[in-house]
Amino acid sequence: MLMMDVDNAPRRASAAPDDVLIAIDQLSKTYVSASGAAVHALSRISLDIKPGEFVCVVGPSGCGKSTLLRLLAGLDDYSEGRLLLDGETVAGPSRKVGVVFQAANLLPWMTVRDNVRLPLRVGGRHAPAGDRIERLLAVTGLADFGDKYPYELSGGMQQRAGICRALARDPEILLMDEPFGALDALTRERLNLELQRIWQENRKTILLITHSISEAIFLADRVIVMSARPGRILADLHVPIPRPRSFDDIVLHPDYARLAKEVRGLLNAQEHGHD
Amino acid sequence: MTDFANIAASAISQKPASSRRRISLGSPIAWIGLAVLILSWIAAVNLLNIPSYILPKPEAVVRALWSGLAVSPASSLGYYLPLWSTLSNAAVGCAIGVGLGLVIGSLMAEVEAIERLVMPYAFALQSLPKVAIAPLIVIWFGFGDGSKIAISALLSFFPVLINSFTGLRAVEPERIDLMRSLSASRLETYRIVKLPNAAPFIFAGLDMAVVYALLGAIVAEFLGAQRGMGVVITQAQAVSDVAGVFAALIILGVLGIVLHGIVRWCEAKVVHWGANRKK
Ligand SMILES: Nc1ncnc2c1ncn2[C@@H]1O[C@H](COP(=O)(O)OP(=O)(O)OP(=O)(O)O)[C@@H](O)[C@H]1O
Ligand SMILES: [Mg+2]
Repeated sequence: MLMMDVDNAPRRASAAPDDVLIAIDQLSKTYVSASGAAVHALSRISLDIKPGEFVCVVGPSGCGKSTLLRLLAGLDDYSEGRLLLDGETVAGPSRKVGVVFQAANLLPWMTVRDNVRLPLRVGGRHAPAGDRIERLLAVTGLADFGDKYPYELSGGMQQRAGICRALARDPEILLMDEPFGALDALTRERLNLELQRIWQENRKTILLITHSISEAIFLADRVIVMSARPGRILADLHVPIPRPRSFDDIVLHPDYARLAKEVRGLLNAQEHGHD
Repeated sequence: MTDFANIAASAISQKPASSRRRISLGSPIAWIGLAVLILSWIAAVNLLNIPSYILPKPEAVVRALWSGLAVSPASSLGYYLPLWSTLSNAAVGCAIGVGLGLVIGSLMAEVEAIERLVMPYAFALQSLPKVAIAPLIVIWFGFGDGSKIAISALLSFFPVLINSFTGLRAVEPERIDLMRSLSASRLETYRIVKLPNAAPFIFAGLDMAVVYALLGAIVAEFLGAQRGMGVVITQAQAVSDVAGVFAALIILGVLGIVLHGIVRWCEAKVVHWGANRKK
């Protein structure tokens, strides 16, 4: 009731305007489970993301967040609706997109450098990257670890390497599915700071999925709150806190408390079967 | 069918093979066991009066071993020529069997139509005791090296086929998603993700394949051949030289251990990223 119902908001003209990079329009996804039953994972999601925006998605477990990200990454087919990246219908993985996976997902038989360079070695011809790989490693504090193997790295370092890999092709869009979920709180905050810095320097468009309300508010320009399955968008909250943000200052910001309370309220209402 | 599944399962359980390896050679327990075995052998022969055409005295076996080993490598009385004959044929057969197993296993894992085409026959052949086909192969390939190579190839083919198929299918879906998100080609995904992922499985298959290849060559030699360790054994048996049979068996046993060690060593070199190293 008090939530903005984006689903039923009147649609604008169907051609995506110039300042929309990711256009999600009435997108639905239904899985057929092994037993043959239909699982409605997403129900008519609509969302426009502008170039350079940092969007965080929160929602109860199983509400279809990963599904949304997989559709954006071109890894799964959607059932209904439209999905445009930079004005083009998504029909498969795109070079404009880099994906950061939940558990770093590095290949254990390659050195960190080879893992980060992987996107430049596969999938056809690529523009020469110059020294970008080395710069990425340096920026994320991995310069001395390029020749190590993933099992020689801590979880946080592995995830940084995963982010480097996603940036190797210099994509416009970064999709991240709970990238820091497996890390301890301190490492997580440090990586949040790093991610904010990388984003401020490169102005990628980032869509990040998280379970952490504080992480979402810290990182995002917009926090998208999703409902329990089938996932719908309950709220699309603007985060007006100036950057660069720090964890010490942000908790003192009045908007932080307001947003955290609002997101928590929406999520709790879900948990209690509120419809 | 269950046979097939069992072997695939054992291939999986062999993956962390480090604990098994530790017991096999270096540990004192293995050596104590050997000492106990030899002592009870000596005791049995001397105390129980077992005739030497059933169980030879250890000294006689050592003498037979010595007479086969302490000769010029070119001597027709030594073990070297027959050993070379058996080994070289087993090696060629093993290479063919392993190569075919890897290629067909890969095709089965990659192309569903091929999987459906080959799988029923693989099941059927797998449940057949393949040594039973050996006489037929000798009819087809004659009493020469051809039969030895063919039987070695046949025996070493299946463990590699099954293990490479199982290993190539056992890739984490996230790794496939990664390659898909990068628009990698099928061949790139195979080479960069699936094959390294399957390497521990393939080595487990290779480990079986080298021993089976040796077995295949010996069986072919039993069925009639001019050269080889199988011939050494049948000739000793023909004159009731039990000590000679024992000596040849010891040679083959040591050979098996050496081959196993070589495969393990190669595996440690190739699979270096801690699939084995991390307990
Ligand atoms: N391949 C699939 N086949 C059938 N059902 C699926 C499949 N993938 C996901 N689902 C179902 O779709 C729903 C949404 O899954 P999804 O992984 O998108 O949730 P999520 O929001 O990412 O959850 P979490 O926060 O736990 O990661 C779940 O109910 C899940 O069981
Ligand atoms: Mg998820």
